[in-house]
Amino acid sequence: MNLGAIDYSIIVIYFLFVIGIGFLLKKRVKSGNDFLMSNRNIPLWITSLAFISANLGAQEVLGMAANGAKYGMYTAHFYWLGAAFAMVFLGIYMMPFYYGSKARSVPEYLKLRFDEKTRTFNALTFAAMTVFSSGISLYALAMLLQVILGWDFDVSVWLAAGIVMVYTYLGGLTSAVYNEVLQFFLIVLGIAPLIIIGMDQAGGWEGIVNNVDNAKLHLWKGMDNAANNPMGVDAFSLVFGLGFVLAFGYWCTDFLVVQRAMISKNLNDARRTPIIAAVPKILMPAIVILPGIIILALQNQFTGFDLPKNANGDTDYNMTLPLLLQKLYPSGILGVGITALIASFMSGMAGNVTAFNTIWTYDIYETHIRKGASQKHYLNVGRATTVIGILISVATAYVARGYNSIMDLLQLVFGFVNAPLFATFFLGMFWKRSTGHGAFWGLIAGTGAATLVHGLTVAEGKGGWIAKVHEYHSGMGQAFNIACFAFIACFIVTILVSMVTRPKAKNDLIGLVYSLTPKQKDPDKAWYKNPLWLGLIVLFITIILNIIFY
Amino acid sequence: MNKLFDLRFVIGLFFVVVGVLLLGYTLLGGENSGTTINRWTSGVFLVFGMVMIVFARNKKE
Repeated sequence: MNLGAIDYSIIVIYFLFVIGIGFLLKKRVKSGNDFLMSNRNIPLWITSLAFISANLGAQEVLGMAANGAKYGMYTAHFYWLGAAFAMVFLGIYMMPFYYGSKARSVPEYLKLRFDEKTRTFNALTFAAMTVFSSGISLYALAMLLQVILGWDFDVSVWLAAGIVMVYTYLGGLTSAVYNEVLQFFLIVLGIAPLIIIGMDQAGGWEGIVNNVDNAKLHLWKGMDNAANNPMGVDAFSLVFGLGFVLAFGYWCTDFLVVQRAMISKNLNDARRTPIIAAVPKILMPAIVILPGIIILALQNQFTGFDLPKNANGDTDYNMTLPLLLQKLYPSGILGVGITALIASFMSGMAGNVTAFNTIWTYDIYETHIRKGASQKHYLNVGRATTVIGILISVATAYVARGYNSIMDLLQLVFGFVNAPLFATFFLGMFWKRSTGHGAFWGLIAGTGAATLVHGLTVAEGKGGWIAKVHEYHSGMGQAFNIACFAFIACFIVTILVSMVTRPKAKNDLIGLVYSLTPKQKDPDKAWYKNPLWLGLIVLFITIILNIIFY
Repeated sequence: MNKLFDLRFVIGLFFVVVGVLLLGYTLLGGENSGTTINRWTSGVFLVFGMVMIVFARNKKE
């Protein structure tokens, strides 16, 4: 793919703007709270767009287009079954505890609700996960730029890491959040023309219906059996594994996204943040999944749209979006499209780095290394952590380049840690009898169960390293089932251990547990300020979309 | 100076600059540059950018 001067100009302008935002915000950052928590002073529209944009990284933009080509409309379950319901649940039921408890992070809530060891376990695994995820994002960006533009790997890694470092070092979380909003608009407006041109060339929706396998144009058909749908999953593992465990586990407990709601100006804004973010989220399949379906229609009508093979000889679905950009965008808009891709990678990286420095500074450094220091001290620690986090990301990118399988293993391990987490939060918030020992051993048991199921089952050649007891139709089906087992194990062990250990006093749990916390009533608030009404509207639209694409 | 801190102004300015660049390219860049998609995109970016700047100018202090 050859870029012209106009394309490079657009990329350079984007880089200047993201760095400029960092410089503009530098004067506003005077304390650790400013740097790590934005002093809880960010307007609702910004927190909402940042909430969705923090998730709009490389895995989302490239990965969902790839899944669109591989699984078709079934990919929309990540949005219309998973995300929408989980985001509404977070806003209505969970955010009052996160925000109302004055916790500065998700692990800090675990400290308040349970104990220090549960918090530290969560903080350490999350910190490691974010900084390695940031590195994997960086590696993927450099590889993409190398493959499609012929850019040097080293230059790409250091340039992208350097730009993210400058704006997060200068402006902290506020700078990352502001850039995420710019990146959101750039990604949407930069990729939307591709959908219009692609749909036009494919012959509109009628052309897609006539040229794409009908099995890939539905959400629920063939869900009676994993063998009857392209995703290779059955209805139970889809609804319970993806729709409940994985989706609620990610959207309701992952500090990377929850942090964007926790920096709102007040509790009502914090509750509305994920619900308002759910509106663009449920429309996002039009931007990130549709390209995958469009390329299937184009492959059937024209030459030159076949996806390349990877090193193993399998179809490289990750090239779906880059190939469409190359084939359909002329110079000019091509620069916008490439910039949108770069923005998605940088957005994912900055989100991870800012979550990492908050967790490290508050949940590890302040808790275990130096308590009671000045705000200025924590500001300096936060800035130093930003630099260290980005340097670890760069190192991770180079490790991934040499030992790609190690990165697969790391992501797998992190998945095992994350899978049972929602059970811990769910019991913590809605069962006052659950204890710190129960939560801690529940998490350990859930992670162990996930590891065991992976070791005993196989899918697409992966897993089964203990024994091959069962084979799934797809890696997706295996992942959903691992999540189910991890959740159930964590849930049961937490209950059993809690029953034989001493719970916290009721007075210590006010504001942390649903049944012990006075309910907030806002009867005088207009519907658009009422999280419940907004949530119901989002769920109504989501259900309609499920019916339309049944 | 206060306007510079308004995110809507920054976003608006970015899209206006890129929109102007794309428009200039389609008008002055020769035969191959004036494709319909570039013209439409530049128009959308200019309108979106200016709307964001107007929002920023009209904000309540």
